[in-house]
Amino acid sequence: MSAQTITVEITSIAQVTPLIKHFRLKATTGGYLPAFSGGSHIIVVMRGQKRIHRNPYSLLSSPNRLEHYEIAVRRMDESRGGSHFLHDVVKIGDQLEIAHPVNLFGLEKQARKHILIAGGIGITPFLAQLEDLRCGEVPYELHYSVRSHEHAAFLQHLGTREATRVSMYYDNEGATLNFEELLAKQPLGTHVYVCGPAGMITRVIDTARSYGWPNSHVHWEQFNAPPVGDAFDVFLARSKISVHVVPDQSLLECIEAAGVEVPYLCRGGVCGFCHTRVLELDGELLHHDHYLSANERTTGKSIMPCVSRAKAKRLVLDL
Amino acid sequence: MLITGIKSKPIYTPLSFDASGRYHILLGAGVGANPLLRVLAEMKKTVPQSMIHARVLFKNASAIEATAGNVSESELAFRAVETVELRVFNNVASLLADFHILATGSLMGTRLYVAGPESFIGLAMQIALQFNLNQDEIRAEECGSLARRVFCIHCRAITDEVVTNIVKCACQRWLLVRDHYSRRLAAYMGVMADAEAPGELPEMREVFR
Ligand code: FES
Repeated sequence: MSAQTITVEITSIAQVTPLIKHFRLKATTGGYLPAFSGGSHIIVVMRGQKRIHRNPYSLLSSPNRLEHYEIAVRRMDESRGGSHFLHDVVKIGDQLEIAHPVNLFGLEKQARKHILIAGGIGITPFLAQLEDLRCGEVPYELHYSVRSHEHAAFLQHLGTREATRVSMYYDNEGATLNFEELLAKQPLGTHVYVCGPAGMITRVIDTARSYGWPNSHVHWEQFNAPPVGDAFDVFLARSKISVHVVPDQSLLECIEAAGVEVPYLCRGGVCGFCHTRVLELDGELLHHDHYLSANERTTGKSIMPCVSRAKAKRLVLDL
Repeated sequence: MLITGIKSKPIYTPLSFDASGRYHILLGAGVGANPLLRVLAEMKKTVPQSMIHARVLFKNASAIEATAGNVSESELAFRAVETVELRVFNNVASLLADFHILATGSLMGTRLYVAGPESFIGLAMQIALQFNLNQDEIRAEECGSLARRVFCIHCRAITDEVVTNIVKCACQRWLLVRDHYSRRLAAYMGVMADAEAPGELPEMREVFR
């Protein structure tokens, strides 16, 4: 992926809620950044003192304004550095590397209605999508759930134009989103999109399914930090090197730190790009991805190193 | 001289009931009644009576099909399935108009089943596409006549119920019926058969019965 990175400069940083910072980035070469569609994310490469972080963030700026990109970063409690780096280390004028935008969460072009459901920081991909939706004729609604008023980021982005289309739910006021009510009676051709905490995504998927929604109409995106776990060792057969995977870094990060490149797009176990063949295994693979089928998991012949780990005496990968 | 090996010819599989859906719309023409009755029987076995939401729109067999299938029997068979709403039509156009109205008021969770000749399926799919029904919401089984709807790529006229390898279009051109199928037009492409050597036509044969 390194061939495709773009160097950007941070032109503004704003604290928009107690936990969320909003960054504006522009190309160091000046001029326009690559075009993207609403729902796209970029990978931000952060060179910390001890290690490199590569985190995915949704673009929230308008796809019609390419002189800059905007992202929002929530400070994660157990962040292994990525969000802390952006919150505490970088300043205006610093440079970062980013990968080209990729969209794994695009709006369905043939849809007859869009229902967007955001939880907290999950609002970001929708902010860019709203820019597209405003210009179209397809009806849409946004349901945005947050802890409290002070945690409601980007309300001003939603603006007055959106007032009738947006429903807010403040946890501290006991206003909860009723998924059953929302999904039970939608017209044919409706698509639902959800971005937020894991529990919210699961509830939307389950509720939609119980009302007979087919998978092709249910879309979700979640950026999880790769789970931490016990250390383990892996041997890369083609590169002929051993890599030690430490508890707070992902298998992919450790492989990259050893100088071996693995293709990736999402770094969140969704896109399938980092799919790697397992050549030898004495032990157990700990799959955390959403990509492999149940069958592929049990055969133990594949692993998605961006999120998955292993508990094994010996693990040999085709890298 | 038929041009085959073209991927766009749709492939259909025998119908079965999709228990993941909440509402079910079944469209049938002629002998298409049989697969639909099979779906309804499966539905009755899987879903409790009170939870069944099914509508059948059925077109009676045409004169050609009447000899093969039996109209009144199919209709009676549908009527015998309780809790299912049935509407019977004498022509495809009014059935489709009704389907359009039905789809407008339908909810997510609806499954569509279509059984009949390919041209009938194609027309139903055109409407289904307008409502953004995807592959995981539609099941179709081809049965009955193999007659094709043919689109003239020269004058854009459609000729229905074509059973022969070549056919004369309204524009007076002789068209060769290809396997190239357009989902948007719900028709097979017809191209001038004697464009290179005017008057030299392949022998006319009945191939789509
Ligand atoms: S990078 Fe997308 S699944 Fe691993």
